[in-house]
Amino acid sequence: MGTQIKDVVIKPDAPNTLLLEKHADYIAAYGSKKDDYEYTLSEYLRMSGIYWGLTVMDLMSQLHRMNRDEIIDFIKASQHECGGISASVGHDPHLLYTLSAVQGRLDAVDVDKAVQFVLSCMNFDGGFGCRPGSESHAGQIYCCTGFLSITGQLQQVNADLLGWWLCERQLPSGGLNGRPEKVRHPHTLTDFITSLPTFIYTVGIESLGTPGEIDTRFSFCAVATLALLGRLDAVDVDKAVQFVLSCMNFDGGFGCRPGSESHAGQIYCCTGFLSITGQLQQVNADLLGWWLCERQLPSGGLNGRPEKLPDVCYSWWVLAALKIISRIHWIDKAKLRTFILACQDEETGGFADRPGDMVDPFHTLFGVAGLSLLGDEQIKAVNPVFCMPEEVLQRIGLHTDLLT
Amino acid sequence: MHGRVKVKSTAQQEEEKRKEREKKLKVYLTVRDAIFKKRSNSELDEEALQLTQQLLASNPDFATLWNYRREILLQLETVKEEEEMQKLYETELLFIESCLKVNPKSYGSWYHRGWVASRLLRPDWQRELGLCDRCLSLDDRNFHCWDYRRLVVKVSGVSVEQELQFTDRLIGSNFSNYSSWHYRSTLLPLLHPQPASDPASACQKHTHTHTPPTVSPQMHGHRVCEEQLLKEYELVQNAVFTDPNDQSAWFYYRWLLGRAEREELISCVYVSREGERVAVAFSKPVNVVSLMLVLDGQPQQVEWRSVHPRLRHSPVWLCELPPGSISDINNEHNLTVHWPEKHTHRDCALYTGRMESWCRESATDQELFRSELSVEKTSVLQSELQSCTQLLELEPQNKWCLLTIILLMRALDPLGHEKETLTHFQMLKEVDPMRSSYYSDLCSKFMIENTILKMEYAEVRVFSLSDKNLSTLCHLDQLLLVTHINLCSNQLVKLPLQFAMLHCLEVLEADDNAIENLDGLYNLPKLEEVSLKNNQISKISDLSPLATCPKLTRLDLRGNPVTKTADIQAELAELLPSLTDLLL
Repeated sequence: MGTQIKDVVIKPDAPNTLLLEKHADYIAAYGSKKDDYEYTLSEYLRMSGIYWGLTVMDLMSQLHRMNRDEIIDFIKASQHECGGISASVGHDPHLLYTLSAVQGRLDAVDVDKAVQFVLSCMNFDGGFGCRPGSESHAGQIYCCTGFLSITGQLQQVNADLLGWWLCERQLPSGGLNGRPEKVRHPHTLTDFITSLPTFIYTVGIESLGTPGEIDTRFSFCAVATLALLGRLDAVDVDKAVQFVLSCMNFDGGFGCRPGSESHAGQIYCCTGFLSITGQLQQVNADLLGWWLCERQLPSGGLNGRPEKLPDVCYSWWVLAALKIISRIHWIDKAKLRTFILACQDEETGGFADRPGDMVDPFHTLFGVAGLSLLGDEQIKAVNPVFCMPEEVLQRIGLHTDLLT
Repeated sequence: MHGRVKVKSTAQQEEEKRKEREKKLKVYLTVRDAIFKKRSNSELDEEALQLTQQLLASNPDFATLWNYRREILLQLETVKEEEEMQKLYETELLFIESCLKVNPKSYGSWYHRGWVASRLLRPDWQRELGLCDRCLSLDDRNFHCWDYRRLVVKVSGVSVEQELQFTDRLIGSNFSNYSSWHYRSTLLPLLHPQPASDPASACQKHTHTHTPPTVSPQMHGHRVCEEQLLKEYELVQNAVFTDPNDQSAWFYYRWLLGRAEREELISCVYVSREGERVAVAFSKPVNVVSLMLVLDGQPQQVEWRSVHPRLRHSPVWLCELPPGSISDINNEHNLTVHWPEKHTHRDCALYTGRMESWCRESATDQELFRSELSVEKTSVLQSELQSCTQLLELEPQNKWCLLTIILLMRALDPLGHEKETLTHFQMLKEVDPMRSSYYSDLCSKFMIENTILKMEYAEVRVFSLSDKNLSTLCHLDQLLLVTHINLCSNQLVKLPLQFAMLHCLEVLEADDNAIENLDGLYNLPKLEEVSLKNNQISKISDLSPLATCPKLTRLDLRGNPVTKTADIQAELAELLPSLTDLLL
């Protein structure tokens, strides 16, 4: 009796050498498919696509084949008045695409505004949402008062004035007084404040008044963006750290939110976050390292959670996390390399998630970056925290902490 | 793009597909542009709901469109009757459900569902739980759905007990469900917390059964009371005997075997008249700039530093007392180190005629490495070990079982089981060669722990661990007082930064390893002799950390690539002027 291990079999004729030129051709041609239906469908993540393309080309020393001016113009056009950057023109600003833009071309971004945007995405519990409260000012007031009430600093609010403001505006049911039912129509600030603790502790999802979806991915995006912009000091790091640590699980891993299951992608984000904030000693590295090295399957590929199929992108998420906690030698590097190489498409160039699947720029970057972490000398050294060429980070003087 | 198999197609098929896509693209762009236009005109109406629905149905990851929908719905709330809104939101829920059927892993759809569900005048959380059940029955690992379920549970006040029963049910139908085991690990400590004062006392059911703010089962040292633990062991045994190769239950088992983290305290204060130095060891790596030192009742102005500038968090911190404070051997001194943040302190007395002194936490062997060991009674662990041994007889190659046996043996009697432990590690490396480095490192850690225990029993300051296949060094903070260390004939590749914690070290023997990095030989004030025969030191610059050890007189480098360097004598004479005995 027993569960079959989910894995793939690598065929004997699978690619076993690195086809760098083909990959460069594939990425260089990718952006020219602008009239393609599928390309248009992925518009909601275009900014990340640009970062994936630029970074993988840079790692392969082929950056000159990308259209620099076009990209800079695109990033500039995607930065909003609030400082946030959207996936594409016409889309809403989002923390993830703000980071992608900064990772792609630091020089195309209005730094002060971007910093402001990142800060406005912070929630009162230290978590980060993907976007700031987009509704009325009431939302932000709600945030502030919520935060102040938790930290016992509520006296800093001019309660009378605020109460008047709240009542006078006859707030629309959105934003501040949206949920829960008890605070639907707060008559006074006191009513509102007294209902806050229930609100905060019972409602895990935030109303529009507070940052959208809260997720440790966005905690990483926030501090990574600020670190790249050289403005990490602008944020309440301790609070942000507390939130991420509250997402640590029984297996030493991390999930999206407190209570969420461990996932290699989130573990990368959280170990990267703790590296940037200088708190890696908080990780239970032996336990987490064990969980991470158990991601390696007989084919050599890595999965992102127990009992899942291997996928090239975990060559990055798992491997980078292991590198950050200095335990990359706990997996079998040669076998992983064989798996990554087998995911190449010999005809078109590019990497797929698994051998024989369709390729895309996302897996192409993480395949190449994974090979770099494994020490492939044809590729530039990649930084395990920022997933950018080490030389770029050296240029801007950003040093990365790894667990010693 | 995940899991899309590449299929070959003929030229004609390609052409047909191309035409079809072109058509689709045209429709898509028309709708998208219409939406963007309406939004830039701040048109928050039902037509826009229709349009966004059209695109989201096939492309639910288009987050901006969900944002737009929420803006529209909020606007409609201000103009429509509540009942009308209720209907509108109900329709929205049906729409989201159809999106989830197309893509059950879209962040945007799940987030929007939570938002809509909570805006209903009469939220129907039962229906939401039902949706989760259906979704999890299709894919019991969908973490989006699990997270949504946790949200619904929290908002609607489902009891922890009910949720635990839910995991009982899922695990009962399929042991191989990591998500359920994970969920259990978050629920159990809430429902059956271990009383803080007395770990062995009876289980008390927690009074508030509603889910409080989530606590991390790792971070807060939340443990489960013993009675419940016995039940959990039984559940795990059922799982591992049914499917011994399924990792879920084994991971959970390891968590059950773990125990609360060691509390943060000052574990040792060491003071030396020579150099008038103080070293303070903590139970965990810390960053303590605020440490306070009181000498004979007088607070001292001292500068604390970690043992190595590259270790911002370190379990050992150092300082020098003002010159002349304790240099006279005829004076007795009393020293207290306060750690105000943790409201704790430790005293240390330095008697006349003594050059050094220390005061340590009286840790028993049980406590020394307790974050890795188990708190349970010996009898319970014995019976667990028996069961696992039985399983191993049936499945002699089972790596999970082997590893668990090793852990149980360590919890029971680490020294008594040392030989068997080593045999089991050997077996583990054979049956699971991909992770042999992990097993080597873990085995090294256990051997170091054993050697520390032996050293403690013998009350000596000599640490000797040669020819044991050590691949890594750890617990070096426990070696603060060690004067002689022998690490010969192992597989070490470096002396890590933490080696700088061996503040009393006089003699280091590390022959016959593969050491290429000496970064940890930093600022060791008493280090006199270093033997590094037959290692991999290749450059003069690799030796530069030794220049920070003022008393170094003897250095043996025979059998290292560096000895081939031209002019090595002269270069080393310059780098390490205190050397009197250099062997190349």
